[in-house]
Amino acid sequence: MFEFKSFQQPADDHFVKNVPEDIDMDEDDEDFLETGGMKLTWPGESLTSSQDYMRGHGTYVDNEEVVASVSGLVERVNKLITVRAVRTRYNPEVGDLVVGRITEVQPRRWKVDGNSRQDAVLMLSSVNLPGGVQRRKLESDELQMRTFFEEGDLLVAEVQAFFGDGTMSLHTRSLSYGKLRNGQLVTVPPILVRRLKSHFISLPCGVDLILGLNGYIWVSKHVKENEREGEEAFDAEAVYSNRNDDIDDSTRMAISRVTNLIIILASRSIPLTDTILLDAYDWSLEQEGDVKDLLQEDASDALVTTILAKG
Amino acid sequence: MTSASISKAEKSYIQAGLLTSPPRRADGRSLHDFRAIYLETGVAPLSNGSARLSIGRNPLDGSGGTEVLAAVKLEVENIEEQTLDGGRIACNVSCSPSAYPHLSSGALDDLQHDLTTVLHQTLSHPSLHPKNLGIIPRKKSWLLNLDLLVTAEAGNIYDALFLAARAALWDTKVPRTRSVEYKSPKTFLSASGDMDVDQDTRSGFDTRHVAHATDFELPDYWDEGEILEGRERWPVAVTLNLLHTAHFLDATLQEEASCASRLLVVYSHESPTAYTIQSMRMLGSDELSIPHLKKLIKEAEGYTRSMATSLTTKLEDEDFRRNQKAREKFGRRK
Repeated sequence: MFEFKSFQQPADDHFVKNVPEDIDMDEDDEDFLETGGMKLTWPGESLTSSQDYMRGHGTYVDNEEVVASVSGLVERVNKLITVRAVRTRYNPEVGDLVVGRITEVQPRRWKVDGNSRQDAVLMLSSVNLPGGVQRRKLESDELQMRTFFEEGDLLVAEVQAFFGDGTMSLHTRSLSYGKLRNGQLVTVPPILVRRLKSHFISLPCGVDLILGLNGYIWVSKHVKENEREGEEAFDAEAVYSNRNDDIDDSTRMAISRVTNLIIILASRSIPLTDTILLDAYDWSLEQEGDVKDLLQEDASDALVTTILAKG
Repeated sequence: MTSASISKAEKSYIQAGLLTSPPRRADGRSLHDFRAIYLETGVAPLSNGSARLSIGRNPLDGSGGTEVLAAVKLEVENIEEQTLDGGRIACNVSCSPSAYPHLSSGALDDLQHDLTTVLHQTLSHPSLHPKNLGIIPRKKSWLLNLDLLVTAEAGNIYDALFLAARAALWDTKVPRTRSVEYKSPKTFLSASGDMDVDQDTRSGFDTRHVAHATDFELPDYWDEGEILEGRERWPVAVTLNLLHTAHFLDATLQEEASCASRLLVVYSHESPTAYTIQSMRMLGSDELSIPHLKKLIKEAEGYTRSMATSLTTKLEDEDFRRNQKAREKFGRRK
């Protein structure tokens, strides 16, 4: 029942083993300055001379040299050198699909935590209101904003625009957006969610996934296409409901399994796509262990090896 | 209080999962399963004993999980009141703001104070007091400072704190001391306070000898001192998260947010058969009937017993590992 383990001891010879001897560490290649060149960097690495280039985000100037301040990918636009960090908060772009959590209800707007640098804003005018999609908002709507979304609620939305200070403004004016129910949230680094054709994924195991580009992933019970709320007419009661449907045992297991798989893949920095998740799910079904055993080190190692082998 | 914000739908999803049969939790654990506990002792070289503990961290990238650092520092204290004879214990818990990003600094202070109170009241109880914290009776003693730092929180903070505290106290070495006495200058000696050091062979009945001791010295010895007396007694805690009639252990933050009350029970297991309840606390707003409470306390004993047994085994392993390492280092140097 109680399992005590040791923290991983760093092996003394770890780094020595992995470096081939004939590599010249001081090699001064500046290929990344060519168009299309790719280079990974780490904090403190000097990139180029500050006299020829300008420093951008993720860099600083020291001793007339542009030095990286984060680890990530070096990018160059004309004379501007920037480093795009591997671990970072979400950088929103208009049209992105995000999953967020309401943090605050304010006059005519909600504040939404979207894993970005600032809280996002969801205006009352950018949600679907009861009684029809195209309707002017009324004072009564302002007074009952908490009946739509209240603090802690999860929602799926689209980035609509930016405010002057870079805050993103969201909208849920589509029938596929809105409040989230029947499942659980799992968080991954935003960089691991790629832009896909659709971010609503249905796995054949009865699980729906919403891959938010901000790294929030909603794993929930599959709802049949024709049973979705507001399919024929917009039904505010159903869309803003807090009540879960009945979820049977196998679906619950499947949701937990998918969640654990996402956690494992994310901790190994494997980008999440529907095919990878499907492969991983099929693999995990063939294994003997329970859902919780997936998180054990050897099981997750085996999973990652299998996934990487499939390419 | 510390709970993450959670939507009503998530809450009812978690509750429904816990109440179905068989119960289902978010990560596939059963109700009484703990996440893996990572433990290492001797992490702070300048302390007299230290430990680092993490519950439920991701083994692949080390992210997530509740992480606690505990360290013991002994400090010499002059005794002014007679009651303080034999040393004292002071516990302090601090929480890193990065572990609780959603809390304001005022709320964080409150939380630290709450955690400190629970820990201090339990661990400084006379029944647990180690007997070797005195230096010179009625004059000097050791003040044992136990500091705990919460660097990350992912639920079940009380259990983690008590486990880390037990590990750090287990690891604590009390420096050996020798009393020093100033003999009054003899008339025929041209004496200016010639110092005499008493020997370890002195009789325990020779109280006269001790009464004159005014100071002490630290003899140079090959190890850092002796272990705290009665280190098997240090208690372990288990938090029972209550949901209707069911209870579950080692809740994540989301699970903590979705159950109304928790029962913290602290047991000391000196030997596999002898146990005493050291402290008990009800956290949350729900009421609990006496028969139900009795049942829970009894069940908690079982959990803490197996927890204490596994922890002791792990701590002995750690002692062995570090001795082995020290010996190898010593051998290499020769």
